Amino acid sequence: MNCISAKNLSKSYGSVRAVNEINLTVKPGQVFGFLGPNGAGKSTAIKLLTTLIPPSNGSLSILGVDAIKSPLDVRHKIGVVLQQPSYEPTLSVEKSLEKYGMMWDVPKDERTKRMEQLIQDFDLSEIRKKRNEDLSIGQRRRVQVAREFMHDMDLLFLDEPTVGLDPSARRKLLDYLKNKVSAGLTIFYTTHVLTEAEYLCDEIAIIDRGKILTVDSPDSLKGKYGKEKTIKIHITTKEDKISQVLSGIKDCKIDFNGGTNITIHSHESELVLLQVLKALNENEIEIEDLSAVPTNLEEIFLKMVEDNASNH
Amino acid sequence: MHPIIRLVNRNLTISLNPGFLIWQIIFPLIYIFVAGFAYTSLIKEVPFGDKDLAYPAFLASGMIGFNIMNSTLVSGIIIWNDRRHGMFEQIMSGPFTRAHYVFSNIVTIGIVGLISATLIAFVGYPVFFESVEFSLFTIPMIVFAAITGSILFGSIASIISTRIRSSEGFNVIINTAFLFFAFVSTAFYPAEGAPEPLASVFYVNPLTYLVDVVRAGIFGNITDFVIVEMGVLAVLASVLFIVATKLLTRLDF
Repeated sequence: MNCISAKNLSKSYGSVRAVNEINLTVKPGQVFGFLGPNGAGKSTAIKLLTTLIPPSNGSLSILGVDAIKSPLDVRHKIGVVLQQPSYEPTLSVEKSLEKYGMMWDVPKDERTKRMEQLIQDFDLSEIRKKRNEDLSIGQRRRVQVAREFMHDMDLLFLDEPTVGLDPSARRKLLDYLKNKVSAGLTIFYTTHVLTEAEYLCDEIAIIDRGKILTVDSPDSLKGKYGKEKTIKIHITTKEDKISQVLSGIKDCKIDFNGGTNITIHSHESELVLLQVLKALNENEIEIEDLSAVPTNLEEIFLKMVEDNASNH
Repeated sequence: MHPIIRLVNRNLTISLNPGFLIWQIIFPLIYIFVAGFAYTSLIKEVPFGDKDLAYPAFLASGMIGFNIMNSTLVSGIIIWNDRRHGMFEQIMSGPFTRAHYVFSNIVTIGIVGLISATLIAFVGYPVFFESVEFSLFTIPMIVFAAITGSILFGSIASIISTRIRSSEGFNVIINTAFLFFAFVSTAFYPAEGAPEPLASVFYVNPLTYLVDVVRAGIFGNITDFVIVEMGVLAVLASVLFIVATKLLTRLDF
Protein backbone atom coordinates (compact mmCIF):
# COMPACT_ATOMS: atom_id res chain seq x y z
CA MET A 1 0.00 0.00 0.00
CA ASN A 2 1.29 3.45 -0.92
CA CYS A 3 1.40 6.16 1.73
CA ILE A 4 0.21 8.81 -0.71
CA SER A 5 -1.59 8.22 -3.95
CA ALA A 6 -2.82 11.36 -5.71
CA LYS A 7 -4.43 11.24 -9.12
CA ASN A 8 -5.12 14.37 -11.18
CA LEU A 9 -5.33 16.39 -7.99
CA SER A 10 -6.22 20.03 -8.64
CA LYS A 11 -7.07 23.10 -6.61
CA SER A 12 -8.44 26.27 -8.14
CA TYR A 13 -9.11 29.65 -6.56
CA GLY A 14 -11.43 31.37 -9.00
CA SER A 15 -9.67 31.28 -12.34
CA VAL A 16 -6.26 30.57 -10.78
CA ARG A 17 -5.13 26.95 -10.73
CA ALA A 18 -2.79 26.73 -7.75
CA VAL A 19 -2.36 22.98 -8.19
CA ASN A 20 -2.89 21.54 -11.65
CA GLU A 21 -3.65 17.81 -12.00
CA ILE A 22 -0.75 16.48 -10.00
CA ASN A 23 -0.06 12.76 -9.79
CA LEU A 24 2.00 11.48 -6.88
CA THR A 25 2.88 8.14 -5.39
CA VAL A 26 4.83 7.99 -2.14
CA LYS A 27 5.98 4.59 -0.97
CA PRO A 28 6.24 3.71 2.73
CA GLY A 29 9.52 4.14 4.57
CA GLN A 30 10.97 6.81 2.32
CA VAL A 31 11.62 10.53 2.43
CA PHE A 32 9.83 12.14 -0.46
CA GLY A 33 11.18 15.58 -1.32
CA PHE A 34 8.90 18.22 -2.78
CA LEU A 35 10.77 21.08 -4.36
CA GLY A 36 9.66 24.18 -6.14
CA PRO A 37 10.25 27.92 -6.33
CA ASN A 38 8.14 30.37 -4.32
CA GLY A 39 4.54 30.39 -5.47
CA ALA A 40 4.93 27.07 -7.31
CA GLY A 41 2.00 25.51 -5.45
CA LYS A 42 3.95 23.60 -2.79
CA SER A 43 2.01 24.92 0.20
CA THR A 44 -1.35 24.45 -1.53
CA ALA A 45 -0.33 20.90 -2.41
CA ILE A 46 0.61 20.24 1.23
CA LYS A 47 -2.71 21.66 2.42
CA LEU A 48 -4.48 19.30 0.00
CA LEU A 49 -2.45 16.29 1.09
CA THR A 50 -2.97 17.04 4.78
CA THR A 51 -6.73 17.48 4.16
CA LEU A 52 -6.69 21.10 5.36
CA ILE A 53 -8.43 22.10 2.15
CA PRO A 54 -10.53 19.97 -0.21
CA PRO A 55 -9.42 19.54 -3.82
CA SER A 56 -11.39 20.98 -6.74
CA ASN A 57 -10.80 17.78 -8.73
CA GLY A 58 -9.02 14.46 -8.57
CA SER A 59 -8.66 11.65 -6.08
CA LEU A 60 -6.44 11.30 -3.04
CA SER A 61 -5.65 8.31 -0.88
CA ILE A 62 -3.50 8.72 2.23
CA LEU A 63 -2.36 5.56 4.02
CA GLY A 64 -5.12 3.64 2.28
CA VAL A 65 -7.87 6.04 3.39
CA ASP A 66 -9.91 8.10 0.94
CA ALA A 67 -8.77 11.56 2.07
CA ILE A 68 -11.65 13.36 0.40
CA LYS A 69 -14.38 11.26 2.02
CA SER A 70 -12.70 10.68 5.40
CA PRO A 71 -10.29 13.53 6.15
CA LEU A 72 -10.50 13.05 9.92
CA ASP A 73 -9.43 9.39 9.62
CA VAL A 74 -6.40 10.58 7.67
CA ARG A 75 -5.52 13.25 10.22
CA HIS A 76 -5.46 10.65 13.00
CA LYS A 77 -2.58 8.91 11.18
CA ILE A 78 -0.42 11.80 10.05
CA GLY A 79 1.77 14.47 11.59
CA VAL A 80 2.10 17.94 10.12
CA VAL A 81 4.69 20.66 10.64
CA LEU A 82 3.52 23.56 8.56
CA GLN A 83 5.71 26.26 7.08
CA GLN A 84 4.32 29.02 9.29
CA PRO A 85 5.30 29.04 12.96
CA SER A 86 2.66 27.67 15.30
CA TYR A 87 2.88 28.05 19.05
CA GLU A 88 1.00 29.07 22.16
CA PRO A 89 2.87 32.21 23.26
CA THR A 90 2.15 32.00 26.99
CA LEU A 91 3.00 28.32 27.46
CA SER A 92 6.46 27.12 28.42
CA VAL A 93 8.29 24.77 26.10
CA GLU A 94 7.63 21.71 28.27
CA LYS A 95 4.02 22.68 28.85
CA SER A 96 3.39 23.11 25.15
CA LEU A 97 4.90 19.69 24.43
CA GLU A 98 2.85 18.14 27.20
CA LYS A 99 -0.39 19.80 26.08
CA TYR A 100 0.20 18.83 22.47
CA GLY A 101 0.53 15.20 23.55
CA MET A 102 -2.68 15.58 25.54
CA MET A 103 -4.44 16.97 22.48
CA TRP A 104 -3.44 13.79 20.64
CA ASP A 105 -4.79 11.68 23.50
CA VAL A 106 -1.39 10.29 24.45
CA PRO A 107 -1.61 8.76 27.97
CA LYS A 108 -0.07 10.92 30.72
CA ASP A 109 2.85 8.61 31.58
CA GLU A 110 3.73 8.22 27.94
CA ARG A 111 3.50 11.99 27.44
CA THR A 112 5.98 12.65 30.21
CA LYS A 113 8.36 10.02 28.85
CA ARG A 114 8.20 11.36 25.30
CA MET A 115 8.52 14.95 26.44
CA GLU A 116 11.74 14.19 28.34
CA GLN A 117 13.12 12.27 25.37
CA LEU A 118 12.31 15.07 22.93
CA ILE A 119 13.79 17.71 25.21
CA GLN A 120 16.98 15.69 25.11
CA ASP A 121 16.89 14.87 21.36
CA PHE A 122 16.19 18.44 20.31
CA ASP A 123 18.54 20.13 22.82
CA LEU A 124 15.71 21.93 24.59
CA SER A 125 16.93 21.46 28.18
CA GLU A 126 18.08 25.05 28.62
CA ILE A 127 14.84 26.51 27.33
CA ARG A 128 12.34 23.99 28.71
CA LYS A 129 10.95 26.50 31.24
CA LYS A 130 10.95 29.46 28.84
CA ARG A 131 7.71 30.71 27.36
CA ASN A 132 7.32 30.23 23.62
CA GLU A 133 6.98 33.97 23.07
CA ASP A 134 10.46 34.48 24.57
CA LEU A 135 12.21 32.06 22.22
CA SER A 136 14.24 32.92 19.13
CA ILE A 137 12.86 31.95 15.72
CA GLY A 138 15.21 28.96 15.52
CA GLN A 139 14.36 27.73 19.03
CA ARG A 140 10.65 28.07 18.31
CA ARG A 141 11.07 26.07 15.11
CA ARG A 142 12.88 23.33 17.00
CA VAL A 143 10.05 23.14 19.52
CA GLN A 144 7.49 23.08 16.73
CA VAL A 145 9.18 20.14 15.02
CA ALA A 146 9.86 18.32 18.30
CA ARG A 147 6.22 18.76 19.35
CA GLU A 148 5.01 16.74 16.38
CA PHE A 149 6.86 13.70 17.69
CA MET A 150 4.74 13.72 20.85
CA HIS A 151 2.27 11.51 19.03
CA ASP A 152 2.51 8.38 16.88
CA MET A 153 2.12 8.68 13.15
CA ASP A 154 2.72 6.75 9.97
CA LEU A 155 3.33 9.71 7.71
CA LEU A 156 4.86 13.07 8.54
CA PHE A 157 4.55 16.21 6.44
CA LEU A 158 7.36 18.69 6.98
CA ASP A 159 7.06 22.02 5.21
CA GLU A 160 10.48 23.69 5.29
CA PRO A 161 11.26 22.49 8.82
CA THR A 162 14.82 23.81 8.92
CA VAL A 163 13.97 27.47 8.30
CA GLY A 164 15.70 29.54 10.99
CA LEU A 165 17.90 26.68 12.25
CA ASP A 166 21.66 27.05 12.50
CA PRO A 167 23.79 24.55 10.51
CA SER A 168 24.41 22.34 13.54
CA ALA A 169 20.73 22.18 14.54
CA ARG A 170 19.84 21.60 10.91
CA ARG A 171 22.17 18.64 10.58
CA LYS A 172 20.96 17.19 13.89
CA LEU A 173 17.37 17.43 12.72
CA LEU A 174 18.13 15.78 9.39
CA ASP A 175 19.91 12.91 11.17
CA TYR A 176 17.02 12.59 13.63
CA LEU A 177 14.62 12.33 10.69
CA LYS A 178 16.83 9.74 9.01
CA ASN A 179 16.68 7.63 12.17
CA LYS A 180 12.91 7.92 12.29
CA VAL A 181 12.68 6.84 8.65
CA SER A 182 14.84 3.81 9.30
CA ALA A 183 12.40 2.97 12.11
CA GLY A 184 9.54 2.94 9.57
CA LEU A 185 8.27 6.51 9.33
CA THR A 186 7.48 8.02 5.92
CA ILE A 187 8.23 11.70 5.40
CA PHE A 188 6.93 14.17 2.86
CA TYR A 189 9.48 16.95 2.90
CA THR A 190 9.53 20.35 1.27
CA THR A 191 12.57 22.58 1.32
CA HIS A 192 14.36 25.32 -0.55
CA VAL A 193 17.73 24.01 0.59
CA LEU A 194 18.58 21.54 -2.12
CA THR A 195 21.59 20.11 -0.33
CA GLU A 196 19.13 19.00 2.36
CA ALA A 197 16.95 17.28 -0.22
CA GLU A 198 20.01 15.58 -1.67
CA TYR A 199 21.11 14.43 1.80
CA LEU A 200 17.72 13.23 2.98
CA CYS A 201 15.39 12.32 0.14
CA ASP A 202 14.94 8.98 -1.59
CA GLU A 203 12.72 10.51 -4.23
CA ILE A 204 12.16 14.06 -5.35
CA ALA A 205 9.34 15.83 -7.15
CA ILE A 206 9.88 19.25 -8.71
CA ILE A 207 6.77 21.40 -8.95
CA ASP A 208 6.38 24.68 -10.78
CA ARG A 209 3.29 26.69 -11.71
CA GLY A 210 1.10 24.07 -10.05
CA LYS A 211 2.40 21.20 -12.19
CA ILE A 212 4.86 18.46 -11.32
CA LEU A 213 7.76 18.65 -13.75
CA THR A 214 9.51 15.47 -12.72
CA VAL A 215 9.62 12.76 -10.04
CA ASP A 216 12.71 10.64 -9.53
CA SER A 217 15.55 9.76 -7.18
CA PRO A 218 18.29 12.42 -6.80
CA ASP A 219 20.81 10.18 -8.60
CA SER A 220 18.48 9.46 -11.50
CA LEU A 221 17.70 13.17 -11.80
CA LYS A 222 21.40 13.90 -12.02
CA GLY A 223 21.78 11.15 -14.62
CA LYS A 224 18.85 12.44 -16.65
CA TYR A 225 19.31 16.16 -16.44
CA GLY A 226 22.88 16.58 -15.31
CA LYS A 227 24.55 15.85 -18.67
CA GLU A 228 25.77 19.39 -19.00
CA LYS A 229 28.98 19.42 -16.99
CA THR A 230 30.80 22.50 -15.77
CA ILE A 231 34.59 22.84 -15.89
CA LYS A 232 36.43 25.87 -14.54
CA ILE A 233 39.91 27.03 -15.56
CA HIS A 234 41.76 29.73 -13.67
CA ILE A 235 44.72 31.74 -14.96
CA THR A 236 46.50 33.98 -12.45
CA THR A 237 47.23 36.85 -14.81
CA LYS A 238 44.74 38.90 -16.72
CA GLU A 239 45.08 37.78 -20.34
CA ASP A 240 43.54 40.44 -22.54
CA LYS A 241 44.02 38.40 -25.69
CA ILE A 242 42.07 35.42 -24.28
CA SER A 243 38.80 36.42 -25.89
CA GLN A 244 40.49 36.41 -29.26
CA VAL A 245 42.25 33.09 -28.53
CA LEU A 246 38.99 31.31 -27.61
CA SER A 247 36.72 33.13 -30.03
CA GLY A 248 35.97 30.11 -32.19
CA ILE A 249 35.05 27.82 -29.27
CA LYS A 250 31.41 27.51 -28.21
CA ASP A 251 30.04 27.07 -24.67
CA CYS A 252 32.81 28.79 -22.78
CA LYS A 253 32.55 32.05 -20.87
CA ILE A 254 35.36 34.32 -19.75
CA ASP A 255 35.53 36.75 -16.85
CA PHE A 256 38.43 38.69 -15.34
CA ASN A 257 37.53 38.56 -11.67
CA GLY A 258 40.83 37.94 -9.83
CA GLY A 259 42.81 36.96 -12.94
CA THR A 260 41.25 35.18 -15.87
CA ASN A 261 38.46 32.60 -15.42
CA ILE A 262 37.15 30.36 -18.13
CA THR A 263 33.94 28.43 -17.49
CA ILE A 264 32.93 25.61 -19.78
CA HIS A 265 29.31 24.48 -19.54
CA SER A 266 28.29 22.02 -22.22
CA HIS A 267 26.83 18.61 -23.05
CA GLU A 268 30.26 17.88 -24.53
CA SER A 269 32.37 19.65 -21.95
CA GLU A 270 35.32 17.22 -22.32
CA LEU A 271 35.52 18.01 -26.03
CA VAL A 272 35.31 21.74 -25.40
CA LEU A 273 37.99 21.41 -22.72
CA LEU A 274 40.38 19.81 -25.21
CA GLN A 275 39.82 22.67 -27.66
CA VAL A 276 40.41 25.25 -24.91
CA LEU A 277 43.57 23.54 -23.65
CA LYS A 278 44.93 23.30 -27.17
CA ALA A 279 44.27 27.01 -27.81
CA LEU A 280 45.88 28.01 -24.50
CA ASN A 281 48.93 25.81 -25.17
CA GLU A 282 49.42 27.21 -28.66
CA ASN A 283 49.40 30.72 -27.19
CA GLU A 284 51.69 29.73 -24.30
CA ILE A 285 49.17 30.71 -21.64
CA GLU A 286 49.84 28.92 -18.36
CA ILE A 287 46.98 27.41 -16.37
CA GLU A 288 46.88 27.94 -12.60
CA ASP A 289 43.98 25.65 -11.74
CA LEU A 290 41.48 23.39 -13.46
CA SER A 291 38.44 21.86 -11.74
CA ALA A 292 35.26 20.01 -12.66
CA VAL A 293 32.14 21.11 -10.78
CA PRO A 294 30.07 18.05 -9.82
CA THR A 295 26.46 18.14 -11.02
CA ASN A 296 24.19 18.92 -8.12
CA LEU A 297 20.48 19.06 -7.56
CA GLU A 298 20.47 22.82 -7.38
CA GLU A 299 21.64 23.15 -10.97
CA ILE A 300 19.08 20.62 -12.14
CA PHE A 301 16.36 22.39 -10.20
CA LEU A 302 17.26 25.81 -11.58
CA LYS A 303 17.50 24.48 -15.11
CA MET A 304 14.11 22.75 -14.94
CA VAL A 305 12.39 25.80 -13.50
CA GLU A 306 14.03 28.11 -16.05
CA ASP A 307 13.07 25.78 -18.93
CA ASN A 308 9.51 25.61 -17.62
CA ALA A 309 9.35 29.40 -17.35
CA SER A 310 10.62 29.85 -20.91
CA ASN A 311 8.00 27.36 -22.18
CA HIS A 312 5.31 29.63 -20.76
CA MET B 1 -11.06 11.45 26.05
CA HIS B 2 -13.43 13.20 23.64
CA PRO B 3 -11.73 15.66 21.24
CA ILE B 4 -13.86 18.58 22.53
CA ILE B 5 -12.77 17.89 26.13
CA ARG B 6 -9.13 17.75 25.02
CA LEU B 7 -9.45 21.08 23.24
CA VAL B 8 -11.27 22.63 26.22
CA ASN B 9 -8.45 21.42 28.46
CA ARG B 10 -5.94 23.09 26.15
CA ASN B 11 -8.00 26.30 25.90
CA LEU B 12 -8.38 26.55 29.67
CA THR B 13 -4.64 26.08 30.15
CA ILE B 14 -4.09 29.06 27.89
CA SER B 15 -6.94 31.19 29.29
CA LEU B 16 -6.73 30.56 33.01
CA ASN B 17 -3.17 31.53 33.69
CA PRO B 18 -2.53 33.08 37.12
CA GLY B 19 -2.09 36.56 35.66
CA PHE B 20 -5.49 36.40 33.98
CA LEU B 21 -7.23 35.21 37.16
CA ILE B 22 -5.61 37.86 39.33
CA TRP B 23 -6.53 40.50 36.79
CA GLN B 24 -10.07 39.14 36.70
CA ILE B 25 -10.39 39.80 40.44
CA ILE B 26 -8.31 42.96 40.80
CA PHE B 27 -9.96 44.85 37.95
CA PRO B 28 -13.57 44.63 39.28
CA LEU B 29 -12.35 45.00 42.86
CA ILE B 30 -10.96 48.42 41.97
CA TYR B 31 -14.36 49.38 40.60
CA ILE B 32 -16.27 47.97 43.58
CA PHE B 33 -14.13 49.28 46.38
CA VAL B 34 -12.65 52.43 44.84
CA ALA B 35 -15.45 53.70 42.56
CA GLY B 36 -18.18 52.13 44.68
CA PHE B 37 -17.16 53.75 47.96
CA ALA B 38 -15.83 56.95 46.39
CA TYR B 39 -19.20 57.62 44.72
CA THR B 40 -21.12 56.84 47.90
CA SER B 41 -20.91 60.49 48.88
CA LEU B 42 -22.67 61.37 45.59
CA ILE B 43 -24.97 58.38 45.20
CA LYS B 44 -26.27 57.32 48.57
CA GLU B 45 -28.79 54.72 47.48
CA VAL B 46 -30.15 53.29 44.24
CA PRO B 47 -33.85 52.41 44.15
CA PHE B 48 -34.23 48.82 42.95
CA GLY B 49 -37.72 47.26 43.03
CA ASP B 50 -38.98 47.55 46.57
CA LYS B 51 -35.43 48.01 47.92
CA ASP B 52 -32.98 50.85 48.21
CA LEU B 53 -29.55 49.45 47.44
CA ALA B 54 -26.33 50.98 48.70
CA TYR B 55 -24.29 52.07 45.65
CA PRO B 56 -21.41 49.63 46.35
CA ALA B 57 -23.95 46.77 46.44
CA PHE B 58 -25.52 47.99 43.17
CA LEU B 59 -22.08 48.28 41.56
CA ALA B 60 -20.79 44.93 42.89
CA SER B 61 -23.79 43.11 41.41
CA GLY B 62 -23.20 44.96 38.12
CA MET B 63 -19.58 43.85 38.21
CA ILE B 64 -20.63 40.20 37.93
CA GLY B 65 -22.11 40.85 34.48
CA PHE B 66 -19.22 43.14 33.66
CA ASN B 67 -16.73 40.42 34.57
CA ILE B 68 -18.55 37.82 32.51
CA MET B 69 -18.36 40.15 29.52
CA ASN B 70 -14.74 41.04 30.15
CA SER B 71 -13.51 37.48 30.62
CA THR B 72 -15.45 36.02 27.72
CA LEU B 73 -14.30 38.75 25.36
CA VAL B 74 -10.79 37.76 26.38
CA SER B 75 -11.54 34.05 25.94
CA GLY B 76 -13.08 34.73 22.54
CA ILE B 77 -9.69 36.08 21.61
CA ILE B 78 -8.37 32.49 21.74
CA ILE B 79 -9.53 32.17 18.14
CA TRP B 80 -7.72 35.35 17.18
CA ASN B 81 -4.55 34.17 18.90
CA ASP B 82 -4.82 30.73 17.34
CA ARG B 83 -5.02 32.30 13.89
CA ARG B 84 -2.28 34.78 14.62
CA HIS B 85 0.13 32.20 16.03
CA GLY B 86 -0.60 29.43 13.52
CA MET B 87 -2.38 27.17 16.01
CA PHE B 88 -5.68 27.20 14.13
CA GLU B 89 -4.15 25.47 11.11
CA GLN B 90 -2.09 23.22 13.37
CA ILE B 91 -5.17 22.07 15.29
CA MET B 92 -7.14 21.61 12.08
CA SER B 93 -4.38 19.40 10.67
CA GLY B 94 -4.70 17.21 13.78
CA PRO B 95 -7.42 14.81 14.94
CA PHE B 96 -10.14 17.48 15.16
CA THR B 97 -12.99 18.78 13.04
CA ARG B 98 -14.09 22.40 12.80
CA ALA B 99 -17.15 21.49 14.86
CA HIS B 100 -14.84 20.23 17.63
CA TYR B 101 -12.95 23.51 17.51
CA VAL B 102 -16.05 25.71 17.54
CA PHE B 103 -17.76 23.83 20.38
CA SER B 104 -14.59 23.64 22.44
CA ASN B 105 -14.29 27.41 22.27
CA ILE B 106 -17.90 27.93 23.26
CA VAL B 107 -17.54 25.53 26.19
CA THR B 108 -14.31 27.25 27.25
CA ILE B 109 -15.96 30.65 27.11
CA GLY B 110 -18.91 29.34 29.16
CA ILE B 111 -16.59 27.90 31.80
CA VAL B 112 -14.49 31.07 31.98
CA GLY B 113 -17.68 33.13 32.28
CA LEU B 114 -18.97 30.98 35.14
CA ILE B 115 -15.62 31.05 36.93
CA SER B 116 -15.48 34.85 36.58
CA ALA B 117 -19.05 35.24 37.83
CA THR B 118 -18.33 32.98 40.80
CA LEU B 119 -15.09 34.77 41.66
CA ILE B 120 -16.66 38.19 41.65
CA ALA B 121 -19.77 36.97 43.47
CA PHE B 122 -17.52 35.71 46.28
CA VAL B 123 -15.45 38.87 46.34
CA GLY B 124 -18.48 41.16 46.12
CA TYR B 125 -20.67 39.20 48.53
CA PRO B 126 -19.65 41.17 51.66
CA VAL B 127 -20.74 44.33 49.88
CA PHE B 128 -24.22 43.19 48.87
CA PHE B 129 -25.00 40.43 51.36
CA GLU B 130 -27.47 42.55 53.37
CA SER B 131 -29.81 42.86 50.38
CA VAL B 132 -29.35 39.38 48.87
CA GLU B 133 -32.52 37.34 48.30
CA PHE B 134 -31.54 34.02 46.81
CA SER B 135 -34.23 31.45 46.07
CA LEU B 136 -34.58 28.23 44.08
CA PHE B 137 -35.60 30.35 41.11
CA THR B 138 -33.01 33.12 41.35
CA ILE B 139 -29.88 30.95 41.47
CA PRO B 140 -30.66 29.11 38.18
CA MET B 141 -31.54 32.53 36.79
CA ILE B 142 -28.06 33.83 37.59
CA VAL B 143 -26.47 30.68 36.12
CA PHE B 144 -28.65 31.09 33.00
CA ALA B 145 -27.53 34.71 32.66
CA ALA B 146 -23.88 33.75 33.15
CA ILE B 147 -24.03 31.05 30.46
CA THR B 148 -26.06 32.99 27.88
CA GLY B 149 -24.00 36.13 28.55
CA SER B 150 -20.77 34.14 28.09
CA ILE B 151 -21.98 32.68 24.81
CA LEU B 152 -23.17 36.09 23.66
CA PHE B 153 -19.94 37.97 24.34
CA GLY B 154 -17.75 35.00 23.39
CA SER B 155 -19.60 34.90 20.05
CA ILE B 156 -19.03 38.63 19.56
CA ALA B 157 -15.29 38.19 20.16
CA SER B 158 -15.28 35.15 17.85
CA ILE B 159 -17.03 37.09 15.09
CA ILE B 160 -14.52 39.92 15.40
CA SER B 161 -11.67 37.35 15.41
CA THR B 162 -12.85 35.85 12.14
CA ARG B 163 -13.42 39.15 10.33
CA ILE B 164 -10.40 41.25 11.23
CA ARG B 165 -6.92 40.38 9.98
CA SER B 166 -4.63 43.06 11.37
CA SER B 167 -3.61 43.27 15.04
CA GLU B 168 -4.20 47.03 15.07
CA GLY B 169 -7.71 46.70 13.65
CA PHE B 170 -8.52 43.91 16.08
CA ASN B 171 -7.32 45.88 19.12
CA VAL B 172 -9.18 49.02 18.07
CA ILE B 173 -12.44 47.15 17.59
CA ILE B 174 -12.18 45.07 20.77
CA ASN B 175 -11.29 48.12 22.87
CA THR B 176 -14.08 50.22 21.36
CA ALA B 177 -16.57 47.40 21.88
CA PHE B 178 -15.35 46.99 25.47
CA LEU B 179 -15.76 50.69 26.26
CA PHE B 180 -19.25 50.79 24.78
CA PHE B 181 -20.38 47.59 26.49
CA ALA B 182 -18.88 48.56 29.85
CA PHE B 183 -19.92 52.16 30.21
CA VAL B 184 -23.12 52.47 28.13
CA SER B 185 -24.86 49.93 30.32
CA THR B 186 -26.54 49.54 33.68
CA ALA B 187 -23.39 47.95 35.15
CA PHE B 188 -22.32 51.23 36.76
CA TYR B 189 -25.52 53.26 37.03
CA PRO B 190 -29.25 52.62 36.74
CA ALA B 191 -31.06 53.42 33.47
CA GLU B 192 -33.77 55.16 35.43
CA GLY B 193 -32.65 58.71 36.00
CA ALA B 194 -30.12 58.70 33.16
CA PRO B 195 -30.87 61.42 30.58
CA GLU B 196 -32.49 60.51 27.27
CA PRO B 197 -31.38 59.28 24.77
CA LEU B 198 -28.66 57.69 26.95
CA ALA B 199 -31.18 55.70 28.97
CA SER B 200 -32.60 54.20 25.75
CA VAL B 201 -29.13 53.53 24.30
CA PHE B 202 -28.43 51.41 27.42
CA TYR B 203 -30.93 48.92 26.02
CA VAL B 204 -29.09 48.61 22.71
CA ASN B 205 -26.27 47.11 24.75
CA PRO B 206 -26.53 43.38 25.57
CA LEU B 207 -24.52 43.90 28.78
CA THR B 208 -27.50 45.83 30.19
CA TYR B 209 -29.73 42.74 29.82
CA LEU B 210 -27.06 40.51 31.35
CA VAL B 211 -26.46 42.85 34.28
CA ASP B 212 -30.20 43.40 34.87
CA VAL B 213 -30.90 39.66 34.99
CA VAL B 214 -27.95 38.93 37.31
CA ARG B 215 -28.92 41.84 39.58
CA ALA B 216 -32.55 40.77 39.65
CA GLY B 217 -31.40 37.26 40.55
CA ILE B 218 -29.18 38.45 43.40
CA PHE B 219 -31.71 40.82 44.95
CA GLY B 220 -34.79 38.73 44.19
CA ASN B 221 -36.54 41.34 42.07
CA ILE B 222 -38.09 39.22 39.31
CA THR B 223 -40.40 41.38 37.23
CA ASP B 224 -42.06 40.86 33.83
CA PHE B 225 -39.47 43.19 32.33
CA VAL B 226 -36.64 41.00 33.65
CA ILE B 227 -38.30 37.92 32.09
CA VAL B 228 -38.42 39.80 28.77
CA GLU B 229 -34.75 40.70 29.23
CA MET B 230 -33.93 37.01 29.77
CA GLY B 231 -35.72 36.25 26.49
CA VAL B 232 -33.80 38.99 24.67
CA LEU B 233 -30.55 37.65 26.11
CA ALA B 234 -31.33 34.10 24.97
CA VAL B 235 -32.35 35.18 21.46
CA LEU B 236 -29.33 37.45 21.02
CA ALA B 237 -26.95 34.77 22.30
CA SER B 238 -28.48 32.17 19.95
CA VAL B 239 -28.32 34.42 16.88
CA LEU B 240 -24.74 35.52 17.57
CA PHE B 241 -23.71 31.96 18.35
CA ILE B 242 -25.09 30.76 15.00
CA VAL B 243 -23.36 33.61 13.14
CA ALA B 244 -20.06 32.95 14.95
CA THR B 245 -20.26 29.21 14.25
CA LYS B 246 -20.99 29.79 10.56
CA LEU B 247 -18.09 32.22 10.24
CA LEU B 248 -15.76 29.88 12.10
CA THR B 249 -16.64 26.90 9.93
CA ARG B 250 -15.93 28.98 6.82
CA LEU B 251 -12.65 30.31 8.08
CA ASP B 252 -9.93 30.09 5.39
CA PHE B 253 -6.42 28.82 5.91
